Amino acid sequence: MKKILVVDDEESIRFLYKEELEEEGYLVECAKNGQEALEKLTVFKPDLVSLDIKMPVMDGIEALKRIREKERHLPVILCSAYGEYKQDLTTWASDAYVVKCADLTNFKSIIRKLLDLS
Amino acid sequence: MAIPMNSYDLLKSIVQLSMTSFPISIKLDRMVQSISEAFPSARCLLLKPEEITRDGFLFRLASEKEPLWVEDGSSFQKENVLPEEESFLYPSFACIPLNDETTSQGILYLGFPKPHPFSPEEVELLLLIGEVMAGVIQNEHLYQKAEETISELKALHEMGKAVASTLKLENLFPLIVTTGLKILKAKGGVLRIEDKRTKELKLKWSVGNYHQHPLDEKIAKRVFYTQTPLFFNHFGEEKPSFSILCAPFLSQGQILGTLAFYDKDSDASKFDKKDFQLFLMMVNQLSLAMENALTHYEISNMAQENEKRVAQLSTLWELNKALLTTVHFERILHLTLTAITIGEGLKFNRAMLFLVNEKDRLLQGAIAVGPDSAEEAGKIWDTLSREKGPLSDRIAQFTSPNHSHLNEIVKGIRIPLEKEQCILSRTVLEGKPFNIQSHQSKEGGAQIGCDRGCRLGSEVGCYVGEHLSRDPKVYSFATVPLMGKGKVIGVILVDNLYNQNPITEEDIHFLSMFSNQAGLAIENAMLYRNLEQVHDELKETQNLLIQREKMVALGELSNSIAHEIKNPLVSIGGFARRLYRTIPDDTMEKQYTQTIMTEVARVEKILTDIFNYTHDESMAFKPCNLRNILEESLSLTQEKIAAGKVELVKDFSEEIPQINGDSHQLRQVFSNLIHNAYQAMKGEGKLSLRLHSIAKNGTSYVEVEIADTGGGIDPENLHNIFNPFYTTKDKSLGLGLPIVHKIITSHRGQIEVDNHPGKGVNFIITLPASEQGRESRCQMAEDHP
Repeated sequence: MKKILVVDDEESIRFLYKEELEEEGYLVECAKNGQEALEKLTVFKPDLVSLDIKMPVMDGIEALKRIREKERHLPVILCSAYGEYKQDLTTWASDAYVVKCADLTNFKSIIRKLLDLS
Repeated sequence: MAIPMNSYDLLKSIVQLSMTSFPISIKLDRMVQSISEAFPSARCLLLKPEEITRDGFLFRLASEKEPLWVEDGSSFQKENVLPEEESFLYPSFACIPLNDETTSQGILYLGFPKPHPFSPEEVELLLLIGEVMAGVIQNEHLYQKAEETISELKALHEMGKAVASTLKLENLFPLIVTTGLKILKAKGGVLRIEDKRTKELKLKWSVGNYHQHPLDEKIAKRVFYTQTPLFFNHFGEEKPSFSILCAPFLSQGQILGTLAFYDKDSDASKFDKKDFQLFLMMVNQLSLAMENALTHYEISNMAQENEKRVAQLSTLWELNKALLTTVHFERILHLTLTAITIGEGLKFNRAMLFLVNEKDRLLQGAIAVGPDSAEEAGKIWDTLSREKGPLSDRIAQFTSPNHSHLNEIVKGIRIPLEKEQCILSRTVLEGKPFNIQSHQSKEGGAQIGCDRGCRLGSEVGCYVGEHLSRDPKVYSFATVPLMGKGKVIGVILVDNLYNQNPITEEDIHFLSMFSNQAGLAIENAMLYRNLEQVHDELKETQNLLIQREKMVALGELSNSIAHEIKNPLVSIGGFARRLYRTIPDDTMEKQYTQTIMTEVARVEKILTDIFNYTHDESMAFKPCNLRNILEESLSLTQEKIAAGKVELVKDFSEEIPQINGDSHQLRQVFSNLIHNAYQAMKGEGKLSLRLHSIAKNGTSYVEVEIADTGGGIDPENLHNIFNPFYTTKDKSLGLGLPIVHKIITSHRGQIEVDNHPGKGVNFIITLPASEQGRESRCQMAEDHP
C-alpha cells in the first residue's frame, strides 16, 4: 500500500484529502506545517508528499528544499489556493504544482501518475 | 525852272496819301505816281533797301543819309558806280535817302533827260516829301511789329490757357505739341520726357514721323544733356534738308525733357530767329505747366499707390479676421489657402502648403487648394462671385470638400530639407520668396531645378503642357516662406495655371505679407493641437493611474479575501462531492448536494477570475497562429451553437501572418467574446467571425472581428464595458471584458467596439503581426520592469 503524507495548515483540507485518498486505497498521514512534515518524513517514510505552500512555522517552499536535501527522488506535489507561485523557480524542484480545487479528480490523477499506478 | 505843278498841291496829295488806309505798297506807289505827275519829264521811282546793291554809290548814299543833287550829269564823278547802277546816271538826277533814326528805308530817285537845275523850293519840297515817305514806311514797320507782337502774345496766351486747362499728362502732351505746331506753323513736333526711374529720355508724343529721323534722337539727347536750346537749318544737297527747333524743359534747375519742332509749313520750310525766340518763350512758359502736371502725375500715382495699399491692407485684415475664426489646425490650413485662391483675396489659381518636419528634416506636403481642371476653376469662380457678404465670412464659410487630385498629390510629397536644388527647400533654407518661370521639360512636366522624378516637377508643375497652349510653354509659379516666430515653418507655393496671369513682384509682396500672418496662425494652431494632444494624453494617463490605483487596492483586498475563502470553499466543495457519491440517485438530498457543488464551482471561478485580473500573470510570448486559436476558442461554444438556431459565418483569409502572443490568454479573449456574443443572441441570430491581415502606416496587423446580432449594447453602458465589476448580466462578475481588454493591450493590440444599438455589436481586435509583435514585447518589458 502506497503511503502519502498530506501537509496543510487547514484542518478541513487535511480531513478532506485524507478521506479522499484513503478511499483511493492509499495510507495517509497528515502534518500541519513544514516542520511537522519533516519530522514525520523519517518516521512515516511516505511514497509521496502533498505540500501546501502557505503555512505557518515553515512554509511549503522551505519544506520542499529540506525534503530535497534528504530525499532527492521522493515525489512532491505542491498545492496552493491559486497559481500565484507558478513563477517561483524553487517550485520547479517539485514534481507537480496543483491549484486547490473542490474537484479532486485532477489531483488524484496526478498522484496516480507520479506513483506510476496509472 | 519853275515847278510845273503847284508844290502845295503835290505836298497836300502826298500828305493825304500818307493818311489813307491803303496798304503801304499802294500808298508808296501812289506817292511815286504823284511825284512823277508833278515832274512829268522825269523818271521817278522808290528804291527799297533790298534793291540797293552793296558797295555801289546808291548804298553809300543810303548809309551816309545825304541827298544827292546832280544838275549836270557830265560833271558827276563816276567812282563807286556799279555796272547795274549805270542806268541811274541820267543827265540830271536827284537821290533822296529815306531814313528813320537808325536805318535806311530806301532812296527816292528822280532822273531828268536833260540837265536840270534844282531850285531851292524844289530841293525843300523833295526833302519834305522824302521825310513824309520815310515816316510812312517807319509807321508801317512799327505797325507790323506791333501786329506780330500781338499775334505772338495771343498765341502764347492761347497756349498758356490750353496747358493750364489740364493736369493730366496724357492730355497735356498732345496739347503742347499740337498748339506749338500751330503757333510755329511747323510740320511736325516731338516731345520727350525723362523717365524718373530709368533716367532715360522717352518719346511721349509726336506729330509727323520726325521721331524716326536718324538725327532726331541724337539732337534731343544733346539738348537734354547740355541743357542748351538748338536752332538748326540743314540744307545740304545730298541729304534731304530739314529745319529744327529744339529746347529743354527746365524747371527750378531741373531738366524734365525736350521739345522739338520740324520744318516750317511754308515754301522755304525754314525757321528763322524770330521763330526760335518765340519757341524759347513758349518752352519757358510750358516748363512750369509741365512741372505742375508731372508733380500732379506723381502725386496721383502716389495716391493710387496708397489706395492700393489701403485696399491690400483691408483685404489682409479681412483674411486675418477669417484666420481668427478658428484654432483648429486643419481648418486654419484650409482657410489660409482659400484666402490665397479666392478672387477678392490673393487671386491665385492654385495654392499648396508644405510644412517643415524638424525631426526628420523633411518638407511635407500638407494641403492643396485648387481646381483640377479649367472647367472646374470656372465653376468655382462663378459660384464665389455670386456670393455676398464680408470677405472674412465667406472665406470662413467656404468649406468645399477637398478631395482634389492635387491635394492627394501634394499630401504625398516629402522633400529632404538638405536638397538645395529643390526650390521648396531653398525657400525654407534661405527664408526668401522665389518667382520662377520654368520651361517644360522633355518628359512633359515643368523643369523646376529638381531631380528627375521629383513629384513637384512631374505632377504639381504637372500636366502643365496640357494647360499651356502658347509657345514657349512656360510654367510660372512662386514660393514664399511661411514664417512662424523667428523661424520658417513651411512654404506656400502658388501658380496661375488656368488663367495664366503673370505673377508680379507686387503679388509676391502681398502674398508674403499674408503668409507672415498665416504662419503665426498656423503655428498657434499647431501649438494648440499639441496642447490638446498632451492634454488628452495626460487625461488618459490620469485615468490609467486612477484605474491602476483602484486595481492595486482591489488586488490587495481581493487577494486576502480570495485566500481566506479558497480553503474553506475547497473543503465545502470537496465534502459535497463525497456526499454526492454516497447519496442514492433520485433523492432530494442528491439535488441539494449537486447545487452546493455547482455553486462552489462558480465561486471558485469567480475567485480565479479576480485573482487573474489583479495579478499580472506573466505571459509566454510565442509566435502563434490566430486561425488555430480562434478555431480552438470557437470549439468551446460550437456545440451549443450547433444545437441552437445560431448561424455561424466564418470568413478567414488564406494567408494570415503569425503574431507574437500568449496563446492561452488569447484563447481566453476569443472564447470570452464568442461566449458573450452567443449569450447576447439568446440562441437565435448570426455570429460572424472574420480574420484578415491589414496594413496601417506601413506596418502589418492581423484583424479579428467577432460580430453578433444580439441587439448591441445600450449606448449608456458602452463607456463602462471595459470597467471591472460593471455588468448588466445577473450572473456575471463583470470581469470578462476587462480581462479581454487587459490581455489585448498587453499584446500591444487594439480593441474597437462597433456598436449598433438594436441590431448587434462587432468587436474588432487588431494585433501587430509577428515582426512588430516582438518589438512591442521589448517595449513592454521596459514599461513593466
